[in-house]
Amino acid sequence: MGRFRKYSALARTSLEITFVYRASFAINLIGTVFYVVAMFYLWQTIFLSNPNSLGGFTWPEMKAYLLVAFLLNSLLTWYQEWVMGEDIREGMVGVDLARPIDFQASRFARAVGPVPFEATSALAVAAIVAFIFGGIALPADPARGGLFLVSAALATMIKFGIVYCVSMVAFWTTGTEGITVGRLAVQNIFSGALIPLVFFPDWLRTIAAILPFQGLVSTPALTYLGKLDGPTTILMLVVQAGWAFGLILLGRLVWRRAVRVVTINGG
Amino acid sequence: MPLIEAHGLTKKFRQAVKEPGLVGSLKHFFTRQYRDKLAVDHIDLSVEAGESVAYLGPNGAGKSTTIKMLTGILVPTSGSLVVDGLVPSEKRQQNARKIGVVFGQRTQLWWDIPVIESFNLARDMYEIPPQRYKQNLAQFTEILGLADFMNVPAGKISLGQRMRADLCMALLHDPKLLYLDEPTIGLDIAVKDSIRKFIRGLVEERGTTVMLTTHDLGDIEDICKRIVIIDNGKIIHDGDLAKLKDTYARDRVIHFQLARPPESMTAICAGLPACEVTNDGLRLSVRFDRFEYAAGEIAGAVMPHVEVIDFRIDEPEVEDLIRKVYLGQLTLSPGPAAAGPASEPAEA
Repeated sequence: MGRFRKYSALARTSLEITFVYRASFAINLIGTVFYVVAMFYLWQTIFLSNPNSLGGFTWPEMKAYLLVAFLLNSLLTWYQEWVMGEDIREGMVGVDLARPIDFQASRFARAVGPVPFEATSALAVAAIVAFIFGGIALPADPARGGLFLVSAALATMIKFGIVYCVSMVAFWTTGTEGITVGRLAVQNIFSGALIPLVFFPDWLRTIAAILPFQGLVSTPALTYLGKLDGPTTILMLVVQAGWAFGLILLGRLVWRRAVRVVTINGG
Repeated sequence: MPLIEAHGLTKKFRQAVKEPGLVGSLKHFFTRQYRDKLAVDHIDLSVEAGESVAYLGPNGAGKSTTIKMLTGILVPTSGSLVVDGLVPSEKRQQNARKIGVVFGQRTQLWWDIPVIESFNLARDMYEIPPQRYKQNLAQFTEILGLADFMNVPAGKISLGQRMRADLCMALLHDPKLLYLDEPTIGLDIAVKDSIRKFIRGLVEERGTTVMLTTHDLGDIEDICKRIVIIDNGKIIHDGDLAKLKDTYARDRVIHFQLARPPESMTAICAGLPACEVTNDGLRLSVRFDRFEYAAGEIAGAVMPHVEVIDFRIDEPEVEDLIRKVYLGQLTLSPGPAAAGPASEPAEA
């Protein structure tokens, strides 16, 4: 009970801080809105010349895919990664280490804290975009909706796992911006956030399949659309869960090593 | 059993060495070279519960590194360290529950949210019983005068207010041990005084063990009975503040203001062997060892020869003493045993 309470308090505080920075949050959101609208027009144009379907996607399905991708990308913003990198670089981690909290759990709490707010505002934006483009399909049945929620939760854990591991690099390097940009580039391609993975050539799809990134967007979006049959959906969720726990475990291992080499400035 | 017990505690850092210029940068990119720096070099330290210890040393001497090892933030390279029965870096969270830490240059408060919410967060993180939390909060709010800015975000309060709030934050969970890393840095005299008074109160009334690093010697004289000096990673003095003064600050200087210049210096000097007598016209100064002579004896030896209008005695400040140690003008024999008055100070 007590254990849970300290982390829920941290999550609450993190949410509160997001409210403090509501202006920059709003600007960030507006930026992503433009991006989504641009993607919609781009795909609309493509579908105009292929009215029936493309790579197995109909236009209504594609719209749903894009909005789900947008929603998932709005969770656990880049801000968390930046804060963690800065904290490590500036030795603020020392303050965390002098507290009776588990570092990874505390960072998870702080990353997840703003999720309700991020999800609500992204949903609002998605609703508006969906309205403008003539509505989107909801999951076919409640079971599928439930599976989607499970998949979305796992996607959030995978995202945290990746961000956490990547932030740890700050222990060995002096800056994390470059690494963040690199991660985002790889992630945007292999998660299916830019283009559904079915459009990839075979070799690229094989690479995507063995990387954890597909669990961020592709798996939950395909689950939402019902593009996969029942057993495949379950299998993909298991793969997602495997990555989620694997990455969190990996993060703990990297942290253990990082702590040993940490040289917090001062002396 | 001592609360803190360190034997041969050592921390070695690996520093990247880079030659200057573009060529150096390129070289470093391909062949990294490192140099080991011994930040803390085999120190032995033992602190009993209830003690208040000043931990001193010039910049880069190893003070903060030691504190970071004590708090469990840094893992020692070698040696043993036990704090209240635990190895801090192995049982970091358990250790954290028992200690309070205040870094003068780094706040524990959350920058963006009101001070009171940082405190509430501390309550949850340290699992402080609600009743105890209320009591402590009320008490610290009153003594430290926090009421005025309790609802202001930490980023918007002054440094003095921030320090007081940081102290409160570090103490809400009743830590046995309080580490203060330069707690009065950058503060005005009034705030310094109130913070020192507060810390002294903690030691006296709550029996909190305090270990403090500082460059401000006022902090030491007000708060600490024991003084440990570290330089180049080694402890070069460990003992009583009073003893340190007795050992190394034995010299006193009496300055006499004279009515007329003295007729003969030799007569005066003859009466004061082992003293250093200097004279420029109407002023006569005698430097003496206060364990050899009483000030009265000096005056008695001088008075018959000259007409004295006024005189004063200079006592060396701890500050001077420590400055000399830092500058290498005064070598303290290492180890606590050397702190007795019997040892000879070597002064350059």
